[in-house]
Amino acid sequence: MATKPAIAKIWEENATPRHRIQWCPGCGDFGVLAGVKMALTQLELTPSGVFLIGGIGCSGQIRNYLNGNGFHGTHGGALAYALGVKMANPELQVIAMAGDGDTLAIGMENFVHACRRNAEIVLIIMNNGVYGLTKGQNSPTAGLGRDLSQMEFSEESPPPVDPLRLALVSGATFAAQSFSGDPKHAAEVYIEAIKHPGFAMVNDFSPCVTYNKFNTYEWFREHGEHIPEGHDASDFKKAWALLDEFEARGKLPLGVVYRHPRAKKEAKRLPMWPEELKPVDLEPMIKAFR
Amino acid sequence: MIVNRLKLLVGGVQLRDGVTTVTDVLGKIFTRAGLYTLAEEKGYASTIYGAHQFDPMVTSDQPVISHADDLIDVLVALEFDVNPDAPDQPNRDTILRHGGKVADRGILLYDSSAGTVPVRDLEARKVKVFPLPARTIAQRDLKMEVVKNTIFVGALFRVLEFDMDQKYLRQLIEERFLRKGQKVVDINLEAARRGMDAIEKGLTEQGWKDTGYRLEPRPTSEKRAYISGTDTLCMGAIDAGCRFYAGYPITPASGILEFMEQHLPRYGGRALQGQNERESIRAAIGAALAGVRSATGSSGPGISLKVEEIGAAATTETAIVIIDAMRAGPSTGMPTKSEQGDLGLVCFGAAGDIPRIVLAPATTEECYTIMYDAFNYADKYQCPVFVLTDLTLMDGRKTIPEDFFTRSRVRIDRGAIVREEDIRKAGGYKRYAITDHGISPRLIPGTPGAVFKASGAEHDEHGFVTTEAARRRAMMEKRMRKLETYLAEDVRPPQVFGKPDGVPVLVGWGSSKTVLLDAQAGLQKAGTAVCVIHFSHLWPFPTAVAKPLFDKASAVIVCEQNFVGQFADVIQQHCLIPARRIVKYNGRPFYPSDIIRGVREIVRNGRQIYRVGEEGPVMPAQVTEGDM
Repeated sequence: MATKPAIAKIWEENATPRHRIQWCPGCGDFGVLAGVKMALTQLELTPSGVFLIGGIGCSGQIRNYLNGNGFHGTHGGALAYALGVKMANPELQVIAMAGDGDTLAIGMENFVHACRRNAEIVLIIMNNGVYGLTKGQNSPTAGLGRDLSQMEFSEESPPPVDPLRLALVSGATFAAQSFSGDPKHAAEVYIEAIKHPGFAMVNDFSPCVTYNKFNTYEWFREHGEHIPEGHDASDFKKAWALLDEFEARGKLPLGVVYRHPRAKKEAKRLPMWPEELKPVDLEPMIKAFR
Repeated sequence: MIVNRLKLLVGGVQLRDGVTTVTDVLGKIFTRAGLYTLAEEKGYASTIYGAHQFDPMVTSDQPVISHADDLIDVLVALEFDVNPDAPDQPNRDTILRHGGKVADRGILLYDSSAGTVPVRDLEARKVKVFPLPARTIAQRDLKMEVVKNTIFVGALFRVLEFDMDQKYLRQLIEERFLRKGQKVVDINLEAARRGMDAIEKGLTEQGWKDTGYRLEPRPTSEKRAYISGTDTLCMGAIDAGCRFYAGYPITPASGILEFMEQHLPRYGGRALQGQNERESIRAAIGAALAGVRSATGSSGPGISLKVEEIGAAATTETAIVIIDAMRAGPSTGMPTKSEQGDLGLVCFGAAGDIPRIVLAPATTEECYTIMYDAFNYADKYQCPVFVLTDLTLMDGRKTIPEDFFTRSRVRIDRGAIVREEDIRKAGGYKRYAITDHGISPRLIPGTPGAVFKASGAEHDEHGFVTTEAARRRAMMEKRMRKLETYLAEDVRPPQVFGKPDGVPVLVGWGSSKTVLLDAQAGLQKAGTAVCVIHFSHLWPFPTAVAKPLFDKASAVIVCEQNFVGQFADVIQQHCLIPARRIVKYNGRPFYPSDIIRGVREIVRNGRQIYRVGEEGPVMPAQVTEGDM
């Protein structure tokens, strides 16, 4: 077992020795990276036991900047791959990190059902309101903070999706929000998410400095507000009321909004090593066909 | 008297009349009596209730080669009343649809509760007709309507002079109904006797001393199962070490998901009903990444939805088995009809060029054995391996000696996996190490000392994204080199039946093999020698072994169930020879007579392509909805 400083060193190092980090200078994703490193160090996890799944787009690159196993498949798929990994080997710490377009547009089908399935997966939505890598098209969270009463909506530009409310109505057992401009606080939220025995969604505001000129660091600093300590996150109605209350004031709650673990069946790692796979007794399968 | 060689067809209204309940009982009992049964033509509709359903089966005391032509010896019509699908044909729908296919001197057994059906044309051909008021007997005399099917079974057994002492029937009925009480068993046995009596009476009235057909038990100590391709395929997968399966409901692949849900947990595995086709394959990829032998399955429409993930699996070099149980396309097509139309999809569907292996079982038995190959190749080559099967095989049932399964086992080989000590010795780990054979040893996540980075974006040996020209070339070539290794080390050459020298060669793949062999025998009898070459390893195409065989032939005739001749195109492209075609795409399986006719058209008339059914009218003036 590695010592704590050794673990800190492992997580602090970028996993990409030859690899330049490809985010724009000042990108919010640097804050997520810093926060995740802090959380993994704090929890003393070893890289070989961590499985990171990146989405498609700028945010997905994070899997390669961190130590730990990493996988990068298709747009919208992170949570479904994560489901398979976790079902196969519950001993792995599975963290999916994907953008708002990845999670809430093309991957919406997986997001809603991940909340229902409640596999022990952490999802960090690196939410910037745009499709950055394809040069700034609107994502489903575009329009955050605009005065909706003043906006002219159309089929082409509908109002934004709120990932927190969507997670809650979809049956999520953990929903939180963080701001990558405050990586220390974000790390605290990530730690809570990792500790949660079920699906844990963190909506992280991670500003796109190039394509989102509205939801800037300054804007988030002005509108973000830590959830008061006395908030009872285990109560669904109180969580929903908290969202209403913040919304009425034009503020974004930062911290754990809802946390209510759901009892579920224990699962074991599936047999996979050659020594675990011997010819089976066919009798139980064949007897119905005689 | 025809003894122990019989094609039987049971028809009726889907869900209401219990067509498959009857054929399931028959298939099981014939199997227990030491006879062989094959029931792989499936006539069910893409609706729950009300459409016409039929289930043909061939029974013999010799292993049955194919489902043979669509001629019937014994027709059993279960509908007691109006088929809601054909309101103007009270209780004679099955007879109208299939009566024309009953052999001269064959047998018709139908429910006459709603009155007798005029069958002069059948009687003119010496067909022995037995009206049987089964539903009336069940309702009026036995006060239990569901036993009408047992009445039919009893009647049919009398027709065939089979199990007259109810030895086999009693055993099966006790197994099924004893838990419901002795009374239920007794009523069923009484029902069967009533059926027998009715036939007895019919024979006496008509002055027939027998029906011309007989089934004689051939008791054997060999254990045999009456089992479907879905079941053998799933048993093969589980025995080959599959411990994760994810699928989404779709005909005819739903049975795989149901089997896996029922049985995988017993062997420590898990089965997942995905929320859609993509979640299914992605979860299967996830499980494979975690190190488990993992599979997903679907039919054409679902495989279409999975195509993006097929590219991702191949590029990330993830070992996954994908089962495509084909049904008639395109699009939703005909969900309950069989076809071989997805070959192009599984061989070519994906962005860019990817390594993949396509295997196609030919028989119910091969559905089992091919799963060992599929999982071993997936692990060895770390790429998607397709098992291309079809509705005919998946839903069809067959008598198979049980020792076949244990005899046919293949050793599980999980391919190159690095262990902790390998990493220590090598001083590090590269997930996509460039190798001569193209295979890079993989890492099971959790193994101390190393991590891997896998990406569907082009990557270097470490798995980090790159677009650098030389690295890209090297990685693309490494991936594709796996196919050369496969062709050199593992591909199975086609099976050759007969000698191809100077004769027409009939080429087939997948489920058409048995029909081609029957057609070959038929052609031989008529004085035309042909050779049959059958492929179960389809892609990458084994040109080096196939071309020399084709070069000897007087004509290469590829027989397949799709419109264009997809495998013929593959052969033509790889072997640079003209591939002629016999194609069928009307939703019905190939019959040996289709092939015989096609060979004659092609050989005698120099035709390039023969489309089965082409001599019929373009579109019949009056179309009866439902299946004939």
